[in-house]
Amino acid sequence: MSSRGRWVLIGLLLAPAVILPLWVPLYDRATPELWGFPFFFWFQFALIVGAVVLTGSAFLLAQVADRDGRVRHGLPPVPDGTGTDRKAGDDR
Amino acid sequence: MTDGVNGVAFGVFVFLFLLVTVLGFAAARWRRAPTLDSLDEWGLGGRRFGTFIAWFLIGGDLYTAYTFIAVPATLYAGSVVGFFAIPYGIIAYPMIFVFLPRLWSVSHRHGYVTPADFVQGRYDSRPLALAVALTGILATMPYIALQLVGMQVVLEVMGVTAPGDSWIVKDLPLFIAFGFLAAYTYSAGMRAPALIAFVKDTLIYVVIIVAVLYIPHQLGGWGHVFDAANDSFASFNKENADAIAAGQAQPRGMIPPETAQWAYASLALGSALALFMYPHSVTGVLSTRSRSVIRRNAALLPAYSVLLGLLALLGFVAIAAGVKVANPQQSVPQLFEEQFSPWFAGVAFAAIVIGALVPAAIMSIAAANLWTRNIYKAFINRGATPKQEAQQSKAVSLLVKVGALVFVLALSKDFAINLQLLGGVWILQTFPAIVVGLYTRWLHRTALLVGWAVGMGYGTWLAYGVASPTKAHFGGPLVLFPGTETKVYIALVAFLANIAVAVVLTVVLRALQVAEGVDQTRPQDYHADEGDPGVEARVGEVEVGTS
Repeated sequence: MSSRGRWVLIGLLLAPAVILPLWVPLYDRATPELWGFPFFFWFQFALIVGAVVLTGSAFLLAQVADRDGRVRHGLPPVPDGTGTDRKAGDDR
Repeated sequence: MTDGVNGVAFGVFVFLFLLVTVLGFAAARWRRAPTLDSLDEWGLGGRRFGTFIAWFLIGGDLYTAYTFIAVPATLYAGSVVGFFAIPYGIIAYPMIFVFLPRLWSVSHRHGYVTPADFVQGRYDSRPLALAVALTGILATMPYIALQLVGMQVVLEVMGVTAPGDSWIVKDLPLFIAFGFLAAYTYSAGMRAPALIAFVKDTLIYVVIIVAVLYIPHQLGGWGHVFDAANDSFASFNKENADAIAAGQAQPRGMIPPETAQWAYASLALGSALALFMYPHSVTGVLSTRSRSVIRRNAALLPAYSVLLGLLALLGFVAIAAGVKVANPQQSVPQLFEEQFSPWFAGVAFAAIVIGALVPAAIMSIAAANLWTRNIYKAFINRGATPKQEAQQSKAVSLLVKVGALVFVLALSKDFAINLQLLGGVWILQTFPAIVVGLYTRWLHRTALLVGWAVGMGYGTWLAYGVASPTKAHFGGPLVLFPGTETKVYIALVAFLANIAVAVVLTVVLRALQVAEGVDQTRPQDYHADEGDPGVEARVGEVEVGTS
């Protein structure tokens, strides 16, 4: 997968964690209840759990994407304490 | 509250408080550096906290004692919009995940200690950096003051106030607590809150888990709790139907009415965007060891949001338990006092008070670093040595705390709350310079400065114009979005004005070819990680200067 592809995938993984909590009409109601909790409350707790799973997956992808980003900008893939510029003409 | 102090509760409380005080002073020797005489050591704990410590530290930093008091208070008072703290906590982390590793990398490469350092290096504009620094200090001060408000509430419920009428005598316990805090922050810097955060968060987790399992069980289960809250709100609305119709009282409810959905979403979004513009969250993040530590924590920190959500619901539990307090902020401490055995109530009180110390310490360090780097070093003593910088920050961290103390005790509590409301509006106005700046320099430095000024002015004016049943000005965080009948968070409205001005002016300034300054940073700086040259070199060293 290309570096750009990986970042798009990371974006897709993280997007629901931003969009769903902001889409209030989706969960602004009392039913169905779960263990006595109105829907409004238990759904938001479920969103937290969902966001954790998504962010965790994005973390694994970002580890690889970061390595690509480093190489593209003239850094060694993994920090090794050697020289900085591996690539000439790295201005902008 | 009027009954005296419970000896057992007070004893446990004092024991735990002394424990963290000892830890605070011992922190100076923890992960010992050759010297604490630089901002990298004193102000950022050596920049080498791993995932585990960072989780406690940043969690303890973002989820403050005031949050733990104020959020359940809103639910107790029947204003469920306060539950926006939960979606806010959810959407903040993906943003932290994406933006902050870049800020971390560039800050390590160039030895930046504050967000304003980055703005200076990126845009080569001292006025813009000063604006960012002043906004940070201004927004942080009332936040520290509110931590004191949180402590005060707990001390009141415990009945711990010295006899006498003058505020100096009455709040003696607060003075003592804050005095200790100031002393160990002065000597150990960032290491003190990092070490105390372990104790604080462990206590908070234990207390909340016990509270949400034990108390509702005593009351007949969560279903009964929600029913009781709903009944209480319904009867309130019925009794006060006339006042509500006349706009003199707010109707109460357990889930937000349809008209409040935009308010709920915009508060969550605006607060999430503002969260990591606050100097104390940047300070917490910059004290970590590597980019992965930040990303891993973005996935792990939501555990605190679960905790906060459960705690918020204790506002309803307090209603079901028949807690009657005039000040809703006392509802949860009062619930603890009534429902727990005295020794565990002591643990709970200590958890909240210690919970105020961690963020207060980090906030005062962050504000002091802003002063030192972006005002003292930028304008007063341009050749300051790392040692002088550390000395400045240490002294200013004391001043900041004294200021917060005077704020809360001598001025009204309302004033601190108003300013905290404004703080959120203000700090969001630094977003374009910092976050957009992490990706592109397209926005012109002068346009950013003007946009910032417009956002600050407009936001303040909007907030001033909000009246509530009890206040003529600064009555709440919501205004009608211009041209509509929908209420939204003021900070977002001001932010949109800020961005619009910045974009339009950038086009104009670029057309006129106004100088844009020299960028100190290179694209690869935004990708540097632990172990790269310039990043590892700083660890344990005294030298700070920009490279």
